[in-house]
Amino acid sequence: MSIVQKAAKILFVSVHLILLSGCWDRTEVNDLALIVGLGIDQKKDGKIMLTAELIVPQAVGGGGQMMGGGGGSGVSGQTVVRSGTGTTVADAISNLQEKLSRRVFWGHTKVVVFGEKAAKAGIRQHLDFLSRNPQIRLRSNVLVSKGTAKSVLELLPPIEQSSAEVLRELSESQLLLRVTIKEAMQMLSSDADVAALPMVKILPPEKGKKDLQTIAFIQRTAIFKKDKMIGDIDDKLTRGVLWLRNEIKRANVTVTLKGEKGNITATLIRAHTEFIPKYEKGKWKMIVKVTAEDDIILNGTKLDLLNPKYTKMIEKELENETNKRIRAALKTVQKEMKADIFDFADIFHRKYPREWNQVKNRWEQIFPTVEVIVETKAYVRRPGVNTAPQGLPEQEVKQ
Amino acid sequence: MIEKGKISAMQMGIMMYPTITATAILLVPAITARYAKQDMWLSPFWASLIGFLTVYIAVQLHHLYPQKTLIEYSEDILGKFLGKAVGFIFLFFYLHANGIIIREYGEFVVGNFLSHTPLVVVMGSMILVCSFAVRSGVEVIGRLAEVIVPVVIILILANIILLIPDMKVENMFPIMEKGIMPSLMGAIIPQGWFTEFLLIAFLLPYVDDRNKGKKWGMISVTAVMLTLSLINIAVLFVLGGITSRFLYPAFSAVRYVSIADFLEHIEAIVMALWVAGVFVKIAVFYYALVLGTAQWLNLSDYRPITFPIGFLLLLFAVWSAPNLIELIHFLGSSSPFYRISIQTGIPLILLFIAKWRRKTNNQKLTQQG
Repeated sequence: MSIVQKAAKILFVSVHLILLSGCWDRTEVNDLALIVGLGIDQKKDGKIMLTAELIVPQAVGGGGQMMGGGGGSGVSGQTVVRSGTGTTVADAISNLQEKLSRRVFWGHTKVVVFGEKAAKAGIRQHLDFLSRNPQIRLRSNVLVSKGTAKSVLELLPPIEQSSAEVLRELSESQLLLRVTIKEAMQMLSSDADVAALPMVKILPPEKGKKDLQTIAFIQRTAIFKKDKMIGDIDDKLTRGVLWLRNEIKRANVTVTLKGEKGNITATLIRAHTEFIPKYEKGKWKMIVKVTAEDDIILNGTKLDLLNPKYTKMIEKELENETNKRIRAALKTVQKEMKADIFDFADIFHRKYPREWNQVKNRWEQIFPTVEVIVETKAYVRRPGVNTAPQGLPEQEVKQ
Repeated sequence: MIEKGKISAMQMGIMMYPTITATAILLVPAITARYAKQDMWLSPFWASLIGFLTVYIAVQLHHLYPQKTLIEYSEDILGKFLGKAVGFIFLFFYLHANGIIIREYGEFVVGNFLSHTPLVVVMGSMILVCSFAVRSGVEVIGRLAEVIVPVVIILILANIILLIPDMKVENMFPIMEKGIMPSLMGAIIPQGWFTEFLLIAFLLPYVDDRNKGKKWGMISVTAVMLTLSLINIAVLFVLGGITSRFLYPAFSAVRYVSIADFLEHIEAIVMALWVAGVFVKIAVFYYALVLGTAQWLNLSDYRPITFPIGFLLLLFAVWSAPNLIELIHFLGSSSPFYRISIQTGIPLILLFIAKWRRKTNNQKLTQQG
């Protein structure tokens, strides 16, 4: 082999060394600030304050080694909260970045919390930012907070690692509303052009605990028209709304039977809501068929629940109770707030596209006049693992 | 013949599958959704008609000139000068089209993953890898496709299955709200992709079992049609009315997957399968271009011009558009007509002329005889 050939070979190999150093976008984990929760607030002067909850890697990773030491410091202090301000969210981020030694990374953002003021001012541009950024996941949960978003993210929850994780777990439990960024965007670009987001409130800390040692919990539902929050409803009404959105997963219903002392509580096993839209002679009508399957979890009466006669009575009462909840939700949301968060617009659109297109611009006026007929059917499947009421002498049990 | 390798008809069909779908699943669903709205799943069916037509034309031409590729028989059909001119049009088209494909690939990778890596590096490394495949000949590309495509199909299906919990069937209704027109409008753009089946005109001469060529071409078109429709349905069910707001709806939908809180963030899989698919796509286009150029210039071997053409491809990829917005504008406006006229229109004219010449020749022969 000639020297030239040898030199050429060595050159060829060494060219590859340049590539070995890695690529432009390599990022070491210890250069990243992992954002788990994001809060967006609007300040009095109209500027946006962005609050990020960041993971402190040592605290989280070191948890295993700390165990033996019995540090006793608890789990708090694993996250840090920082804020930045600017005219837009993106602006605020650069401001926030100035205060961080590491580069922000959005890939692990679990929740996005809008402060009440920001929600009232409009969330569209914030949602656009969140979906335009390739790092942020459309699955992140969106919430609204009573008060500022910062106050919610600042909390040091006693059980979970971060308040963002608390909010995510609470959202995913689906006791009340659960909305992801994708769903929020879908709601706002749907025919109805309204949205409903879960609203959180700070749980007052227990006595003897520091102010921040508590969590925020989902308690209400914020109602948006266009992209601005117009009001909120409490947890009871929210459950009614969930029935009407076919999103109810868990619910306990307590009823009393006529002529009986004490309560009976049933828990929901399965529920389904079917919507049958009707358009007759210029009148919009919606038949809502609710089916619920329950188990009894508490029996405060003297009735032996193995008697099918009582089951029928309980079912009847459960239907009434569910009906009442749905009616109450309809009254507030449909008649008073006039916000179609049940997405009736889309349901009508699907069934009666031609008729619907004629009224689509006037939908806001038509929606409150839609006649809603609720037909509920409840089934009690099991009496739990008890038969007659516990803790009662045999002779007092009503068969 | 310059190419000595042989592929089977099935390999050809398999090669063509990612050649169409790889880029069609990225930008096309959003463009289709813009026109067809909830009927977007219908559009691939209309669009595939031109795919079937293109395969039919290519196969018919192949029957008339069994040993030759598109570039060679255009000369036979139109004569030396016009034939060379048409050949040049084809070659230039494939140079440009492949440049655009490479650009789409680069934009996707840079836009979603490597946001600070220069586009040229991303595109250049892909071209380099492809040029090795192209230099190795049609057999190697065929076998690569055989390895890659089953994985791609399985992963596409797996992703769709993982999305099932997030799907809402009612997003599909009302079907054909404004008649058939929106879905036809939505089909115009994917049509451009289906015309790329003309590439089999470069592969058919090297197919072993040539009587099966037509069959596998048609199977490939059907598979592409079903895949695109399935992806459109999945995206529509997950994203509904906001599908057209995303640049890469299929990708955004897959990012939404979350099963039991731990099976999530799986877009890296999509990325992997997609890069594999696009690799085959670029390699097939690249191969057709290199082979065609060698035949057009009457070279005895196509290997020496592989790298120079690769460099040219990189330039075309950079020049094809100043930014992603222009690229999408081109793909969403004039590109389908550009592609259809060259990949289906010109071959159709070639076929008519060839048939007509055969006929007159036969008449002459019978008159003489």
